[in-house]
Amino acid sequence: MKKISLALAVALLLVPALLFSGGAKESGVTTLTIAGRDGAFGQAMQLAIDEYTKTHPHVRFELLELSGAELAEQTVIELRGAKGAFDVLLIDDPFLTRLQEADWLVDLDALYKKNNLSIDPDLIENMVNIGRYPYPNGTLYALPHVGNVALFAYRKDVAQKYGVSRFDTWDQVLEVAKKIKAQEPGMTPVLFRGMAGNPIVTGFLPIFWAFGADVLVDGKPAFNSPEALNALTYFLELAKYAPEGVTAYAATQVSDALLAGTGAMAIEVWPGWIGNLENPELSSVVGKVTIAAHPGQVKQSSSMIGAWMIGIPKNSQHIDEAFDFIQHVLSKEMQTEMADKTGNPPTRHSVHQLPNLVAKYPWYPAQLDGQKTGSIRPRTNYWAEIEAVFGDYLQRALVGNISAKDALNEIQKRVVEIVNQ
Amino acid sequence: MKSSQRRAYNSFFYIILLPALILILFLTAYPIISVTYDSFFKYDFITQARTFLGFQNYVKIAGEELFQRSFINTFIFTMVASVLEVFFGVLLAFLLHRQFFGKRVASLIIVFPMIISTMVISAVWQIFYHYEIGLFNFLLQKVGMKPIGWLIDQKIALFSIIIIDIWQWTPFAFLIIQAGMLSIPSDIFEAAQIDGARGTQIALKITLPILASQIMLVLMLRTIDTFRLFDKVYALTGGGPANSTQTLSMFIYREGFAFFNFGRASAASVLTLFVVAFLALFYVRSLLKEDN
Repeated sequence: MKKISLALAVALLLVPALLFSGGAKESGVTTLTIAGRDGAFGQAMQLAIDEYTKTHPHVRFELLELSGAELAEQTVIELRGAKGAFDVLLIDDPFLTRLQEADWLVDLDALYKKNNLSIDPDLIENMVNIGRYPYPNGTLYALPHVGNVALFAYRKDVAQKYGVSRFDTWDQVLEVAKKIKAQEPGMTPVLFRGMAGNPIVTGFLPIFWAFGADVLVDGKPAFNSPEALNALTYFLELAKYAPEGVTAYAATQVSDALLAGTGAMAIEVWPGWIGNLENPELSSVVGKVTIAAHPGQVKQSSSMIGAWMIGIPKNSQHIDEAFDFIQHVLSKEMQTEMADKTGNPPTRHSVHQLPNLVAKYPWYPAQLDGQKTGSIRPRTNYWAEIEAVFGDYLQRALVGNISAKDALNEIQKRVVEIVNQ
Repeated sequence: MKSSQRRAYNSFFYIILLPALILILFLTAYPIISVTYDSFFKYDFITQARTFLGFQNYVKIAGEELFQRSFINTFIFTMVASVLEVFFGVLLAFLLHRQFFGKRVASLIIVFPMIISTMVISAVWQIFYHYEIGLFNFLLQKVGMKPIGWLIDQKIALFSIIIIDIWQWTPFAFLIIQAGMLSIPSDIFEAAQIDGARGTQIALKITLPILASQIMLVLMLRTIDTFRLFDKVYALTGGGPANSTQTLSMFIYREGFAFFNFGRASAASVLTLFVVAFLALFYVRSLLKEDN
């Protein structure tokens, strides 16, 4: 009896396994696997997929929605294995250099040529060039899908109370922060992401650049310059007006404080965080927050670009289909729909000028300006390591474990070791 | 049994064991050998460039402040968390050894934290620990105390994570100890009671010595597990503030999967393996001694 029951159980398990196992592939159907991001980026990509399959019913999609770290790991593991599992890749722009150096991406210039196409001039040139290797004039390996630019946010009603209608310098920011601290109980003067690593570094870089400092000068680390010291000294002074728990602040905390109206200024916001700023159901500061380019100091302001690029792995089995899909993702129609429905920042001039989108996202002029003139993080294979060391010591200086000067000297020493390894 | 018969008998068992042995060697020994081999190289996983460095990776890593910090944090976490988890596990097992109304429900509630995903637990505790809107600081302020920077104060953050680990894994220790207690024949307790032993005397002089091997086992399992601490730190603090919660697993992850420096990640893994193996060996020896 037991044997019969066991045999029956095995048979019951085997039937669905046989029914649903691979079997013969559906003829004429192509499946594209997209290694993409989670959250709003994933929603935007799903929207593009839904639209594309309406006109291309023979193309199916498998969308992997991964966190930034997971995406980088899986990209490297898959592309190194060269199994051709991914057809379309989303790539964080500082990571692009590593993939280009490894020669893992398809030459898009050649694909444009093969298809008798040219790069649409409506795509912002500065953003397109991020996908070139060597940067900015080399071969094109990726196109700009998410036009992320770090911007500066401030409560215009609060700033006006202290006689400021726009912030031209970081000194003005500090002055207003001091006044808010003294006169606006319950309001946090300054917000930023204080978590070690990428968050604190991306928050600090616009200040670093505005004070005339740079990460690499002629390819050599330049953290121990007087400009860098001025920038960090300023940052530590400004941080006195940040929330008590700023070292644990990530994107959510910054955007929550802004939306709740408890934060007066945020030294770094990304379009993805502020999509609901003008939504009265979720925001208590509708019409009160200005999103602008960062203030300058000894140098003009320079927004930091943090684009998500889209490319095709060399070992993909469906390069032509993937290229066609990318053209669809980057089309004006699709970028407009993605921007409208998911807040995905476009990378086209024309989409930034659509009246309905500008009304919904009043920061589009600043975003467009940032994309046209903004700076990118250094193109080096060692950026991940440099950023980790930079962020590590920035946070240690922030909590008072080390002085600004010692922190910069340590960063310089460690980054020299990294670059010369 | 004749010696030829014994040989045949033994050979039969060796043959039966062989497939499992090969599998274990493949799954355990091969990765260890491979990681040890990689640890002697500067090895970039992306470019696949390898340069032989000998012991340089080990020397350099061991001298790095971040690695030392990670090691100390991991050690503190392991010692405090595993000892307290076992202590509370034993305490709970004793408390629930008696019969009382609601015992079943109490056992279920105690076991509950262990079955929830660590990421969910981390998200919940992150809200409890929030400096401005967290439950704990709200309660502290209600009784007129100053709020505490549970996850943002570098002197406290590691201990805040230890508290979560204790909350999550004490039930595991409780379950093993309780199972051990249930296996003790009741006539031992009855005899002790007849001889006039009090509750504390029974607990300290009879129950605990009998449970020694179970306590040692659960201590070993928790030590090995806590030494690999990663998920809670990753979700709650990212290693901060100011590296006060950095752990060896975080260090290895960062080298391996953020920088793709597999040589350095391998060297750090081998060093960690040595420490875990040493700790495990210590416990196993104690357990074997008791067995003998």
